[in-house]
Amino acid sequence: MQETIDAILQQIESVVLGKPHECRLALACILAQGHLLIEDLPGMGKTTLAHTLAETLNLSYQRTQFTSDLLPADVVGISIFNTNNQTFELHKGPIFNQVVLADEINRASPKTQSALLEAMEEKQVSIDGTTHPLPKPFFVIATQNPLFHAGTYPLPESQLDRFMMRISLGFPDVEAEKQILLSPIQQSRNGGGAAKKNRTESLIAMQNAIEQVHVSETIIEYIIALCHVSRGQNNTAKMNETENSLSCKPLSPRAGKSLLGAAKAWAFIDNRDYLLPDDVKAVFHAVCEHRLELTMQEQHTTITISEQILRVVDVLNPLNR
Amino acid sequence: MISKTRINHHKKSGKFNLTYRNTWLLWCCQIINIASLSLAISSWMLAILALCLCWQALLINVKFNNKEKTLFSPILLTTFALSGCVAIAITASSLGVLLSMVHLLAFAYSLKAFEIKQRKDFYQLILLGLFLLASSLIFKQSLVFSIFIILALILNLVSLQQVFSPNKSLWASTKTVTLLLLQSSLLAIVLFVIFPRLSPFWQVPNAKSAQTGLSDEVSPGDIANLALSSDLAFRVDFKGSKIPRYSQLYWRAMTLEQYDGRKWFRTKTNKKNNLSKQPFKPLITGESIDYDVIVEPNYQFWLFGLTVATTTDPSLVLKQDYTIQSRNVLSQISHYKLKSYLQAPLEPIISDESKQRNLTINLGSNPRLEKLALTLKQKFPNPVDRSKAVLTFFREEQYFYTLKPPLLINNSLDQFFFDTKAGFCVHYASTYAYLMRAAGIPARVVTGYLGGEYNASSVPNSSQLTPQGGHLSVYQYDAHAWAEIWLAGIGWQRVDPTAAVDPQRVESGWSNALLAQQSLLNNDFVGLYQLKNIAWLNALRLQLDALDYQWTRWVLGYSNQQQYDLLTRWFGNNMPWKTGAIVLLSLIIMMILITLIYRINFKKLRRKKVSPWLQYYQQTLEKLTKKGLIKPMNMTPSCFAQQVALKFPKLSKDFFELTKNFECLSYQNLSISEQEILLVRLHNNYLKIKSNLD
Repeated sequence: MQETIDAILQQIESVVLGKPHECRLALACILAQGHLLIEDLPGMGKTTLAHTLAETLNLSYQRTQFTSDLLPADVVGISIFNTNNQTFELHKGPIFNQVVLADEINRASPKTQSALLEAMEEKQVSIDGTTHPLPKPFFVIATQNPLFHAGTYPLPESQLDRFMMRISLGFPDVEAEKQILLSPIQQSRNGGGAAKKNRTESLIAMQNAIEQVHVSETIIEYIIALCHVSRGQNNTAKMNETENSLSCKPLSPRAGKSLLGAAKAWAFIDNRDYLLPDDVKAVFHAVCEHRLELTMQEQHTTITISEQILRVVDVLNPLNR
Repeated sequence: MISKTRINHHKKSGKFNLTYRNTWLLWCCQIINIASLSLAISSWMLAILALCLCWQALLINVKFNNKEKTLFSPILLTTFALSGCVAIAITASSLGVLLSMVHLLAFAYSLKAFEIKQRKDFYQLILLGLFLLASSLIFKQSLVFSIFIILALILNLVSLQQVFSPNKSLWASTKTVTLLLLQSSLLAIVLFVIFPRLSPFWQVPNAKSAQTGLSDEVSPGDIANLALSSDLAFRVDFKGSKIPRYSQLYWRAMTLEQYDGRKWFRTKTNKKNNLSKQPFKPLITGESIDYDVIVEPNYQFWLFGLTVATTTDPSLVLKQDYTIQSRNVLSQISHYKLKSYLQAPLEPIISDESKQRNLTINLGSNPRLEKLALTLKQKFPNPVDRSKAVLTFFREEQYFYTLKPPLLINNSLDQFFFDTKAGFCVHYASTYAYLMRAAGIPARVVTGYLGGEYNASSVPNSSQLTPQGGHLSVYQYDAHAWAEIWLAGIGWQRVDPTAAVDPQRVESGWSNALLAQQSLLNNDFVGLYQLKNIAWLNALRLQLDALDYQWTRWVLGYSNQQQYDLLTRWFGNNMPWKTGAIVLLSLIIMMILITLIYRINFKKLRRKKVSPWLQYYQQTLEKLTKKGLIKPMNMTPSCFAQQVALKFPKLSKDFFELTKNFECLSYQNLSISEQEILLVRLHNNYLKIKSNLD
């Protein structure tokens, strides 16, 4: 099983150059059955990563480019009257795929964005009063441009919360950029065709294995303590009194659950059947930053909120008991 | 980058800003602290302080509402400060040293609040405030006031705490502060009981320039003012012995033997003679009564006792005229023990000199009285009959007792006796004594207090009907004057002419008619006396009085002597050095205990709860801390292992292993046998690292 993971990772990293951490996070997100949001400037390889992920895992996928005039029906599908047999026929939208690539999701109107909501959480869609189950496994990999870009609608908090992780790729280092510049055009899109195997079953097996990863009580307390800090419950963590209090949104229990799931997947990728605090710390930023951020708030410091929260929690004695 | 440098700059300049809430909190503290001194500070100073506070309130308002107004100018403040100081300097002579210093302190306190620019200034202000609170205890120490001071102290400390944790709610701060105070009060109590009470290096200068209580010369009209005051004079604890009847409770303060036609005053020569002579020992017969007297400070020397009073206390002096004096001015609450013999005779034999002194009258000052005296002398050859005749006169004629007698020209006793016929105890006592002297019987006036209010609340099984134990509170309005005549073979005999005029005053206290009069003269007085008519309120008042009594007796009255007695009782020996050694030793033991408790609290107790592997890991961390490598609390063990490898390459192998084993133990799902194996390994790693570091 570990070999499969290593193979998948290698494959992704060979396409998305110089970003091993982000590739791992993306894979962990998929393994933890979470939806992924990739946020960055245009041309940073967001779509490439999303494509590669879907392709490597050999899942059925369809890409939808979100625009401001995209309608919900364009995403979920529509019933059309067939004059031949006098019945309504359902034309399934792109959402009926194992992987849905929602490109530039924040360019669509909130109405269309919301159409994804039910699908993401319930893994089913309702069209004309009929509920249709979605294929298994089902992932949404969305990309978006930073909020200050023209023509973007901010994702509502409820939808942000449905994404397990939000990652951003950032600029590559010199070596990676050299390779990117030298690589032939269109190579990545067709790459790895030979290695294509049906991995759906092994993916489900891996997801089950991740469920079995052992979590000790200290880790659970650690996660709880992290959530408590974000909620301003200072009694559990040793907050430095003189430090300004955090201004952030509180982490919901669902956020805690996502954090735990992602950390488990991370530990699994690391070939461990138990969780270390390092795993939680590794995924904390990706899992929680978009749930903590205040949308319109200007950041005064270079330290992110998730970093600030991690700083005040004691690893060995999280709840300070 | 820019924001970073700005932050640094901000930190360096050390500007100290209070939040809106804390500024007002501090302002409230100032009001409370100054209010605690309002009894001592004169009204003009209070007005200045109030002005300061109002100005501050305006400034705060302007500052936090971003109004573009400048209400503050340093020049104005300086002028203000200087003029205030000058005013204090001018009035210093009338205020006395202590009071003027207190004025200065309060003034400085309210001015300091204008210039809180640094953290240091804030600390100074808080400290000054605490000092101010403490100094207010010089002037008043009653139970209620002490509770008020404690509450004010809590408020001050809360405002201090709020600056350190501005996000904490006021209630949480109050809880923390109260808890801390409770903890420290334990130590305070121990220190209060056993810490050596050094006599003060300097005497508190007379805080009250105006004396309350009796003065050493009495003219008709003096005691009337006193009768309007409901201040406490002294308290008596009969310690379970039987309390005499109300009409027996004549608390003697002064014996006045000299009369100059207007005033009665003490014999000045008395003092000199007595000091050189042997201590005066009165004749004692009959039953004795033991009691403790706790005197409120009156800034005088004399004490109060039932005649004939004896004492073994070396700090008291018994006088020839049966009065008791303290060797020191009563500037604070004092406590003394007396033993009285109510049946004992007073000076059965007196010297001619003394007899002559008590017969002296200014001939011709009150001719009508002298004439009457002569007729009495001829009519009644027996001195006892002569005295009785005068009393009968008082009783049967239209004399009445009033606190507001008509004005007498030159304090003429003639006018009182024959014309106005209205007066109070001093009038009757001095007229009686004058008449007796004129009729050839040695007579003198005695001042003191009569009666007192009995309070059994402090004793569980006692009722008002059978007074046993409990205490007696004597107030200023119980002040009284009576006369004594000397009869051959009997000695000095107490005669109270007031009893002939208003028997109720002597038997049970103020009559209702007099009370009504008093209420008219002094509104404050109404409260206390009318309350007595409402049963439950009176019971409550008595309870409060009993509580205040206990406070006075055990806390305020805890003197050097009592401490010594207590320690002797505890340690059972009279050797001071041994007691001192024990006290010192117990202090040291206490210190050690406290430090031990703290150590156990922070290290041992916490370690008890944690798992054995965490113990090993933490011990290793402690060792590394001593070597200068501290693990930040948010760092994971594996990250820290890399740090250790960088700093101590020698240790890296062992520490990596230790970390690995620790991680397995604390995060992995292990069976007990596996745990044990790993624990042994962990222990080995720990020992290796320990030996390596040591």
